[in-house]
Amino acid sequence: MAENNSRNSDRIAGVLLLLLSAGYGLEAIRLQADTGYMADPLGPRAFPLLLATALAIFSLYLIFKPDPDPNWPPKRVLLAQLSMLVSFVVYSYALAPLGFLLATTLEMTWLSRLFGADWRSGFLGGLGLALSLYVIFVFGLGIPLPLGHWWPG
Amino acid sequence: MDVLASLAHGFEVALTPLNLSLAFSGAFLGTLIGALPGIGPVNGVAILIPIAYALKLPPESALILLAGVYYGAEYGGRISSILLNVPGDAGAVITTLDGYPMAQKGKAGEALALSAISSFIGGTLAVIGLTLFAPYLAEWAIKFGPAEYFALMVFAFSTLASLAGKNPVKALIASIFGLMLATVGIDPGSGVPRFTFGEMKLYDGVDFLVVAIGLFAISEVLTMMESSYMGSAQRIKVQTALVSFKTFMFSLWSILRSSLIGFFIGVLPGAGASIASAVAYTTEKRLVDREGTFGTGDPRGVAAPEAANNAASGGAMVPMLTLGVPGSGTTAVLLGALMMFNVTPGPLIFEQRPEVVWGLIASMYIGNIMLLVLNLPLVGLFARILTIPRWFLVPSIAALSFVGVYAVNNSAFDLLFMTGIGVVGYLMRKAGFPLAPVILGLVLGRLMEVNLRRALAISGGDWSILYAGTLSKTLWALAILSLLFPYLVSLLGPRRQDLSLDE
Repeated sequence: MAENNSRNSDRIAGVLLLLLSAGYGLEAIRLQADTGYMADPLGPRAFPLLLATALAIFSLYLIFKPDPDPNWPPKRVLLAQLSMLVSFVVYSYALAPLGFLLATTLEMTWLSRLFGADWRSGFLGGLGLALSLYVIFVFGLGIPLPLGHWWPG
Repeated sequence: MDVLASLAHGFEVALTPLNLSLAFSGAFLGTLIGALPGIGPVNGVAILIPIAYALKLPPESALILLAGVYYGAEYGGRISSILLNVPGDAGAVITTLDGYPMAQKGKAGEALALSAISSFIGGTLAVIGLTLFAPYLAEWAIKFGPAEYFALMVFAFSTLASLAGKNPVKALIASIFGLMLATVGIDPGSGVPRFTFGEMKLYDGVDFLVVAIGLFAISEVLTMMESSYMGSAQRIKVQTALVSFKTFMFSLWSILRSSLIGFFIGVLPGAGASIASAVAYTTEKRLVDREGTFGTGDPRGVAAPEAANNAASGGAMVPMLTLGVPGSGTTAVLLGALMMFNVTPGPLIFEQRPEVVWGLIASMYIGNIMLLVLNLPLVGLFARILTIPRWFLVPSIAALSFVGVYAVNNSAFDLLFMTGIGVVGYLMRKAGFPLAPVILGLVLGRLMEVNLRRALAISGGDWSILYAGTLSKTLWALAILSLLFPYLVSLLGPRRQDLSLDE
């Protein structure tokens, strides 16, 4: 649990945002374009530089006047969230080779587990969800979803 | 009567079988989405965009469906507020104050019926307001030059910043983040690719849909991992939803006053359903609560916030349609959806695409009647939806998000990008950065830059054009005033009420 007087979250956010504004601003300066002609006196650089400057000012404000930290979740929840994110990444890559039905069933079984289901109901729920989404999207909306490389034909 | 003729034309559009069934589906899905704690109107609308897109609907039909989800969700939000003391979405938080005590007294059916009728009155009065005011506002806004437009957008961001969160600076940072996302891609003015890092997929810009679904739905799924509420609502039994004529008449003035308040708050950029319902409730409490019954199950305490939040969602359509400048997260998502269909809202839309605007407005009259009819007899069915276990509900939100985003481009890159934006959204929520300004920035970014560059082209590079006209001066003054507003209030009053809820 975070202490009440700790204000590090906003300071870290401020530093990261300051870095973002610096990187974004430098990238904007490097843009090559003919600027200064009549039809477009500003060119592609001005608006991004305006944004970068404003962001830099506001992130300095955040560093010097931070709010109290929020209650970050306990380790157990953080681990569950992390495993959920990892499964999202795996799912994104696995969707095409495994096919929508298999990948979605597996992914939903895992997510249901994370939200407290037992393996059996999680699997059945995931299978039902995958099948109904497949029917809705492929047959109802006419949007092809991958069947997977293992599928015959 | 110009307005009546246009409205009649709108009804011709809205009454086609396709659009009628879409209004019905929108209303039904909206009630469902509103009823389920966790998926609010923003998530609902964002998740349904790919489906509307895939159905290859004409823009007016897509808008009728998505808008139906939006205002339908304001009807549904009250169900779990009343039955479970858990608001279905942000606009229904205040409804728990008197709704749940009424249910505890065994008057759940009465509370549900009264709130449905209040929602109907609030929603319908707001559509009437939209019909009357929108064309005039559009006519007036047609005279806006690029400098006025730029000032108007600054004004929209600053009111959103002062109202959308506890810390206006964080809301401004969120707006800038959205604007920065909007600058990614080929610059339309010069043809130079910006911030793409050579990634071809980013040349067309950041995909609005991917950001909207990641920011709201994926971050919501991450947030839900935290909450301990397990959603086992086994004890819900609602047979009939009926309210006596006497109770209705007792609340009528509260309903009418709250509808007016809700509509005008909805029109303001930045203030949406949650603020409207809070203001309406406190106003009614001050005006009519002589016996101190508010908070103990007073029917007026249920009627007022429900009338107000529905009126606010109608009012929020006014700036989105007439100015092309949405005032809330959900209307920003609706605007983004319209842009996907190559329709740009703004003052010209009333002349160029009357079928879109007037078809939508007419469908809102019809949708509100459908919602009333749906919500009185079927409330028991919607209440049963609340018994869906969380372990099924939350993964379903994730699955719908993934399949929706994948359906648009068939790209794993989009799914990864959505997950990344979801993490950013989650961290922002935790640290008190509101999400609505990000989506507003993303939707308005290009327009804001184009207008700035046009204004400076007119003046030959002289920045003073931005505040030369009377109208621009007024808008800049209002923008600065609205940013100072929270500080002025905290100087004058004892403490500022915390109305910071995500729309």
